[in-house]
Amino acid sequence: MSSVAQPQRTGASQDARLRKRYAAERRFHFAGLFAVGLSALFLAFLLSNMMWKGLGGFTHYEAAVPIDFARSDLMLDPATLKGPDASEVIAGADVEGALAKSASAAFGPAAEEMFGAAANRSLSRQLIRDPGLLGRRVTLWLPVGSKVDVAAKQGSDAASAGLVGQLKAKNALRRTVNMDFLTESDATDASAVGIWGALKGTFLTIMVTMLLAFPIGVLSAVYLEEFARRNRWTDAIEVSINNLAAVPSIIFGLLGLAVFLNFMHLPRSAPLVGGLTLALMTMPVIVIAGRNAITSVPPSIRDAALGVGASKMQVVFHHVLPLALPGILTGTIIGMARALGETAPLLMIGMRAFIAAPPSGLTNPATVLPVQIFLWSDEVDRGFVEKTSAAIIVLLLFMLLMNGLAIYLRNRFEQRW
Amino acid sequence: MKEKMPLNSTSPIPMPSAAIAAEAKRAGPSTTEDHALPPEPQVALPKEGPAPAPEPEPGRTPKMRAQNVSVFYADKQALKDVSIDIHEDRVTAFIGPSGCGKSTFLRTLNRMNDTIPSARVTGHIELDDEDINSSDMDVVQLRARVGMVFQKPNPFPKSIFENVAYGPRIHGLGNTKADLEQIVEKSLKRAGLWEEVKDRLGESGISLSGGQQQRLCIARAIAVDPEVILMDEPCSALDPIATAKIEELIHELRGRYAIAIVTHNMQQAARVSQRTAFFHLGEMIESGKTSEIFTNPTQKRTQDYITGRYG
Repeated sequence: MSSVAQPQRTGASQDARLRKRYAAERRFHFAGLFAVGLSALFLAFLLSNMMWKGLGGFTHYEAAVPIDFARSDLMLDPATLKGPDASEVIAGADVEGALAKSASAAFGPAAEEMFGAAANRSLSRQLIRDPGLLGRRVTLWLPVGSKVDVAAKQGSDAASAGLVGQLKAKNALRRTVNMDFLTESDATDASAVGIWGALKGTFLTIMVTMLLAFPIGVLSAVYLEEFARRNRWTDAIEVSINNLAAVPSIIFGLLGLAVFLNFMHLPRSAPLVGGLTLALMTMPVIVIAGRNAITSVPPSIRDAALGVGASKMQVVFHHVLPLALPGILTGTIIGMARALGETAPLLMIGMRAFIAAPPSGLTNPATVLPVQIFLWSDEVDRGFVEKTSAAIIVLLLFMLLMNGLAIYLRNRFEQRW
Repeated sequence: MKEKMPLNSTSPIPMPSAAIAAEAKRAGPSTTEDHALPPEPQVALPKEGPAPAPEPEPGRTPKMRAQNVSVFYADKQALKDVSIDIHEDRVTAFIGPSGCGKSTFLRTLNRMNDTIPSARVTGHIELDDEDINSSDMDVVQLRARVGMVFQKPNPFPKSIFENVAYGPRIHGLGNTKADLEQIVEKSLKRAGLWEEVKDRLGESGISLSGGQQQRLCIARAIAVDPEVILMDEPCSALDPIATAKIEELIHELRGRYAIAIVTHNMQQAARVSQRTAFFHLGEMIESGKTSEIFTNPTQKRTQDYITGRYG
């Protein structure tokens, strides 16, 4: 029995082997820890950087400016402001000029341009709300223009810094939450921009993508996996789908441009077209994830259902699909997250246009958050820097919300067995 | 050789095959149609007795009849010209070494091989004189009439109630909740599981033990009121105690349903079946009364297998 050379179980060589094994395990442990730590560090850096730069974008400075409407050149009749055309009437009046005059009267000639589009909008709104202001002398808090805002937040060029100092000395400057940023759309003036238009565009686009890509993707996966015969055609389809999932997104943009705009003549820059294009891009991902999830349902479940006399369709829809759903949803989350952050294909179908009003429907011109971020990051005005970061925060939150919802749904389906 | 028999086993299945064969040879033909689970080996063994068991008369129509059934997986022939009858009120056991085609044959009886794309079945199989492979036969209806219990317990990942109620529901057997509850209770009682689960019908079928899961699967199969139940090595994944319960259950179900059971446990075949067919390398070597196959096989290969020469 013991004549054959047996591996040594004790002694020095054994100890050495053991030490080597422990060392290897330790090395692997540290390498893994290092990798995880490094990615956590990068993520923390990215998020803190975004927060640092972007949170300022949700606030703005307001200055208190005394305006004597009675002596201004505003040719406005309080009665017309009560009518339904109030906003048109006020757009025709020279609110901007009146504001500039009041500012320079209060803070000197350097302050003539301290207010921008945001202040005009705010003042117009207040006038519509209370036409009685006309004919009185009032002091109003109005958001300052982008230059002064940047100077107050970071201290930039000398002229604006002087003005900021003066305003602060007079106790006429305060920092408040910029609600307009969440409710307004794109503008040329950094102080007046808002994210709502892009957010709504994103929402509509993703909705179209979801409504198209999810059912079509899941049904394709079910059909290919459960019903289709294995032959040259299904093989070809499988290869094509795998390839489609790897096609660069800009190509899908070109496809959307050629098919939806040039051939089908759908409206340019519309969420409908954006959603269709993104659906083309997302569908292969959902099909692949769906097929994997369906294959991983144990065959014993199919046998069990067939054994009690369930038809093929009953097997699929009563047993296989519910069990595969968590996996399918995971794939859908990944596909949707990718679609949500996609910029390139949407540039091709015209969603990079300057759009100052939120879309009211699927065929209205719109833009989406990533494209909005891309556009703002290209602006010269320094006021856009923090707006860009703020928009990124909004995009990340939107994504987090969507993924959270999907994970919640997935867990619910998993518990339902 | 995974079926090597323990020669001096203390397990609840204390019947070495050689011993059965030897003892049975001495004893002669069987009368023990109705034995319960053997508390001691002798009960299962054939005893001296003048009247042979009421075996089906030659003229009597079998429940299922297979004639010259061959199965091919792609080009490979897995089953060669098997002909066998399955009778009502009888348990028919298919024994043989691994890979001999006994499970394949069982799966042809309710056309489960249809789900394997490369499988091709030739020959003629009848259920109550109806050709099950004809175009008039709906495969879904066939599987409702010929139920199946699988090797590994495979309850649906749903509640115990849903597991049993699923079949009747899709076949429209219980239209109201009360009907379904009645069917579920009856099926679970027949499967001997009711007492253990009656207070937790809402729990997942997966939460049961292996033996309970298998009895749940049997309850699920009988819930649709089949005529034939096919069992594909129903005890191979179970411990001896759970196995004993299933065997007891098979005894109780006999008479209500025609049962065909695949097993590679020869003692089990001897204990539960009245008729046995021995398969080897895709051929059915011989079939007949269990007592005769185990005591007086006509074929050398059967003899060798039963005495544990190979397996």
